[in-house]
Amino acid sequence: MKILYINNNGGGFADHVEITENTTIERFFDINMPDAEPSDYLIRVNRQPVARDYILQPNDRVTITPVNIDGGRHCKHNPV
Amino acid sequence: MKKYKTLFKQAKQIQAVLSNIKKDRSKEILSRLESIFSLNSTTIKNSRLLCIALRKNWPYAANRMLDKVQRDMYELGRHLSQFRDLGGREDYSAVTLSDIIAELLQIEQEFETFNLSEKTLSVTTRPITLEGIPLGPFKIELLLDELSELRPSNRPYLVIALDPNPASTDDAVTHPHVSDETLCEGQAEPAITTALEQRRLCDFFMLVNGVLRTYNSSGAHVKLSEWGGSSCYDCGCTVSSDESYYCRHCRQEYCDGCSTYCQICNTTVCLGCAFNCSTCNKPVCSSCRAACKDCEKTFCKDCLSDGLCQGCEEQRKEDEYDEYDENDESNDEETESLPSIQPDSVG
Repeated sequence: MKILYINNNGGGFADHVEITENTTIERFFDINMPDAEPSDYLIRVNRQPVARDYILQPNDRVTITPVNIDGGRHCKHNPV
Repeated sequence: MKKYKTLFKQAKQIQAVLSNIKKDRSKEILSRLESIFSLNSTTIKNSRLLCIALRKNWPYAANRMLDKVQRDMYELGRHLSQFRDLGGREDYSAVTLSDIIAELLQIEQEFETFNLSEKTLSVTTRPITLEGIPLGPFKIELLLDELSELRPSNRPYLVIALDPNPASTDDAVTHPHVSDETLCEGQAEPAITTALEQRRLCDFFMLVNGVLRTYNSSGAHVKLSEWGGSSCYDCGCTVSSDESYYCRHCRQEYCDGCSTYCQICNTTVCLGCAFNCSTCNKPVCSSCRAACKDCEKTFCKDCLSDGLCQGCEEQRKEDEYDEYDENDESNDEETESLPSIQPDSVG
């Protein structure tokens, strides 16, 4: 089945991805963000926070947004 | 029910602004098409003239027309490529009303509330504290009508400190990554751009909030360790850059009370590196002092004359005088013992 996956970590791409039936949001996170901690991200399914054992449904909209993002690397002003 | 009515109205308002962007884009496409058509007809006209010139065997005119046709073809290619870019760009301007309502509901859920004025949508973050420094809440203000042109140099939003605690060295810096209400997006730049392009308004606000909640010391306008100013190396008090003084001898920053200036070369010097001349009592730096050749005590250069301090110089003078006196006296004695040059009873 297909779901819409918006990964706001990095490029912020939105893509339809294929997943197997009965995939929980926790499993989906582990597959797509292998070295990341779920607590460092805001995970939303259909714009709502869900429990880790939520089973993804066809056409669900999953958004993963980092809680903390480093600013300033492409800063145009001179850092002091 | 009233809440949803208001939300619906607000969503309509946003959609109206976004559809204006779509209209602008369509206008741009149309204008490009017009210039392509106009260029095309000019090329055809010049090609015909080239044919005539060749047929009538006018080499000079033929060359001129050939140049023109080549130039036209180059311009045509350039315009076509720009048109392809513009047409090929995915158009997210036409977001549905239900999408906008969903975005607004999510914004409300994540940020508790939002504000919509004529052309701006804004949210307020929770008060932000980084490394123990309270920076207050920030208003993230999205300028909806500027969403059409997303360029790194022109971001369509402002980050406004509502209870500002700016860096003591620069009032415009209200957050290590915010200067003049502009956020240095850093690693969030591609995600913010994509969210804005795709009109994912809530994701945009969450990403900006993510940057505001994070401190990256290597890319800060003002480091948090220097937020209240730099600390005096001597007494440890905090001073702003305008009030701190750099001692180039020990290469440290000092406050006004812990620094002075060399009264010979006028450079700033800390009290530790300054030397008070025992003769004139003026503070001087290490470059403007020297040891006396005789007594080897240190004095400011103004109080040394030919490498001698005032005391040693006087001593030398006295010694020289004494030496001269002694020489003088011994000369007198010698004179007395000598017989008179003119013998008695002469003449």
